[in-house]
Amino acid sequence: MPESNPPAPAPPTPPTPEPSKLMAAILERVGALVEQWHAEHGDDRIHVARENIVAVCRLLRDSPELAFDMCLDVTAVDYLGNPDGFITPSQVWDENRAAWRHLPQSRHRLVQPPRGPSPRFAVVYHLLSTSHLHRIRIKSRVPEDDPTIDTVSSLWPGANWLERETWDMYGIRFNGHPDLRRIYLYEEFVGHPLRKDYDKQHEQPIQEYVGPGAKEPRRPQVEYAGPERKNTQRPD
Amino acid sequence: MAARVVKVVRPAPTTKQWLPILIGLGVASAHFFRNLFGFIRGRQDFTVNFPEQRFVQPPAMRGMPVLVQMANGKERCVACGLCEWACPTSCITIFPAETAAEVERFPEVFDIDMARCMFCGLCEEACPEEAIVMSRQVEISSYSRRGSLWRKQDLLVPEAELKPRLDYLRAQYARK
Amino acid sequence: MPDRNAKTLNDPIDSAMRPRAEASPSQLDPGLDAPPMRLQFGPSHPATHGTVRIVLDLDGEQIVDADVQIGYLHRGFEKECETGYYYQNIPYTDRLNYSSAILCNTAYCMTVEKLLGITTPERCDFIRVIGGELSRMADHMLCVGSSAMELAAFTPFLYLLEARELVLDQIDALCGARITTNAIRIGGVISDLPAGFREFATAKLDRAAKLIDDAHKILTDNIVFRRRMEGTGYISPQDLIAHGVTGPMLRAGGVALDLRRTQPYLVYPQLDFDIPIGEHSDNFDRYLVRLEEIRQSRRMVLQCLEKIPAGPVNVDDPRIRWPGKNHVFGRMEELIDQFKLVTEGGLFPPGEVYFALEATNGEFGFYLVSDGTGKPYKCRLRSPSFSNLSPLGRALIGRQLADVVPSFGMTNMIGGECDR
Repeated sequence: MPESNPPAPAPPTPPTPEPSKLMAAILERVGALVEQWHAEHGDDRIHVARENIVAVCRLLRDSPELAFDMCLDVTAVDYLGNPDGFITPSQVWDENRAAWRHLPQSRHRLVQPPRGPSPRFAVVYHLLSTSHLHRIRIKSRVPEDDPTIDTVSSLWPGANWLERETWDMYGIRFNGHPDLRRIYLYEEFVGHPLRKDYDKQHEQPIQEYVGPGAKEPRRPQVEYAGPERKNTQRPD
Repeated sequence: MAARVVKVVRPAPTTKQWLPILIGLGVASAHFFRNLFGFIRGRQDFTVNFPEQRFVQPPAMRGMPVLVQMANGKERCVACGLCEWACPTSCITIFPAETAAEVERFPEVFDIDMARCMFCGLCEEACPEEAIVMSRQVEISSYSRRGSLWRKQDLLVPEAELKPRLDYLRAQYARK
Repeated sequence: MPDRNAKTLNDPIDSAMRPRAEASPSQLDPGLDAPPMRLQFGPSHPATHGTVRIVLDLDGEQIVDADVQIGYLHRGFEKECETGYYYQNIPYTDRLNYSSAILCNTAYCMTVEKLLGITTPERCDFIRVIGGELSRMADHMLCVGSSAMELAAFTPFLYLLEARELVLDQIDALCGARITTNAIRIGGVISDLPAGFREFATAKLDRAAKLIDDAHKILTDNIVFRRRMEGTGYISPQDLIAHGVTGPMLRAGGVALDLRRTQPYLVYPQLDFDIPIGEHSDNFDRYLVRLEEIRQSRRMVLQCLEKIPAGPVNVDDPRIRWPGKNHVFGRMEELIDQFKLVTEGGLFPPGEVYFALEATNGEFGFYLVSDGTGKPYKCRLRSPSFSNLSPLGRALIGRQLADVVPSFGMTNMIGGECDR
């Protein structure tokens, strides 16, 4: 496998010609705003431009024959270096395997693939209708230099926390979000850990503790000098 | 043959407020007297006096991984490295070496960091030689972090001691 | 020595906190215009069985504002999954909902099977249902028992924990571990049912059923328990749906959404069971629904043990399931298969897939993006605890401080699953 100039990934294959019943209903309602649609492994999926995401979601929620009243999940995918999805297997695996020959631990190290031209992130929404019991996945591409998208937390309050998590993990800002704080990590955290260019072994700078009792002297650490286990006494 | 939706019955609040208290006392005293006079009839002991008594563990039980020691004192491992690959936490370290004996490969270093091991059993499942198996040993605490690193000599267990587990393994992973 | 006056203790500790709620005139004494007191509930509070921090603004005993902060158990599960092979991530799914690990294993493995487009043998499906329903029983027992204990009812906690141990004994016999099971494999299960499992399980389940009845007798009619559970933690069914709440919490609100019924998977269409729903959407209905689900799970396990057919428990495909050890020791082809599957992880088509099943707390789903290698490009967990916890802050506003404990207990937030 050549190290430089990887072959450009082929464009996505055309979707299945026959839309499902749900997809036909969706296309009839919001077809003008849908960029492309897929039915992969039985999951229906539509792609929407990020300017239209709130309009599409509102139509999907308020149309009586669709009635997507539950937002199950909001997340993002970082397509760093594989901007058009995965039609051909990526090279990351081969490079990782080459690195593993030298040091076993290095298989956990990240090999950064080359950048591609398409928008880097995709925000993924999973919706469920509790009355009709059908599901849809919405994907919306977001570029790297302006990672923002409109919030849907006004439509589903449950998206509030999920969008906070997506901001925390991927650094995608949600315009109009009422309370966009980090949800898992602390505010001083540098970077967004689920991005593909964030190394798994990356260490964060130590933050000064500024709360109550910060001025008190630290208790000195004591080394335990007790008996060792038997198995450590043996020579190597 | 299907799922039905039923509404849970919420019992009406009783006007006799002393009644539930009496019922609760009755249930608790039934347990109390059954445990107290259970040596006469009907007690089902639930706890054991550890460490004098031990639980009877089922044959499927997964303890810490150990190496099988053959009758000639050597390990059965041929240092192929599959357990090292399969280990999700990378707690196994193997340096292979070669000899002039009949089985020419052996691990010069075989370390398991028990502080990282999570007893998942994937090493045992991956091993093509039946050389690393999950024992019944679970008491692996140590005073220092260094004490949780188990060397090859610490991990070797004679094959005769591991016979129940080996028999179970052969049955568990056998296919037609 | 830290300054022990009230001002310092009520000061915000970190910058991540919201500004304090507007100072409102106290309801008790209109003349007293004091700012609300800030109370840190958690992260390690004896009355919460989970590491969560609720920042409460109190006006007397009344909650003016509540901010639920999670993340104390964040371990980077999704990042970890991206660097491991598909089979290596199964032990990590044990640590998501650690009180019902087999359901998490099953959800993950069935997602990968959906990606591969394979179906498992029927005996394998039965074993998965047996393990999953046993896990569900254990989780509900822990939830009900510890919630009762937090309301100072210690005796039923002991009964339910004893019953849970009896259930864990069966899981132990099934897969060799009590909590971190690692029991399900892609295209199969770790092992067949042990010999004599039916009699063993029936005896243990009978003993557990008596203990559950005892706990029910003590708890359900108890005055203190009922007054603290009835009417507290109310969330309207519309709010529940809009917040993405699933599972027993949603069913206690009267919405009969259960994936075992609405989108049947495994062998649930062959089983005869009830799905309990409530109508008041308060903590007491959640308690009743969970208690009833324990009984229904017991019924399902007994039915599965009756109906389980003979046959293989693994997919007969050397590209997916690791070959049998008896062949690996003796034959070259299976030895090569074993080496290839362990070192390359298997062959997975590029694409993306979402699959969810009904776990203890609701819809437990995985969203996998595959790039064609042996490692998932992205492994996303749709965790029910996360969504179930999100309306709690709003539901607590205007309630009493004592309602926090039963409301949080009946949410059954599991830290490993909520914080990923």
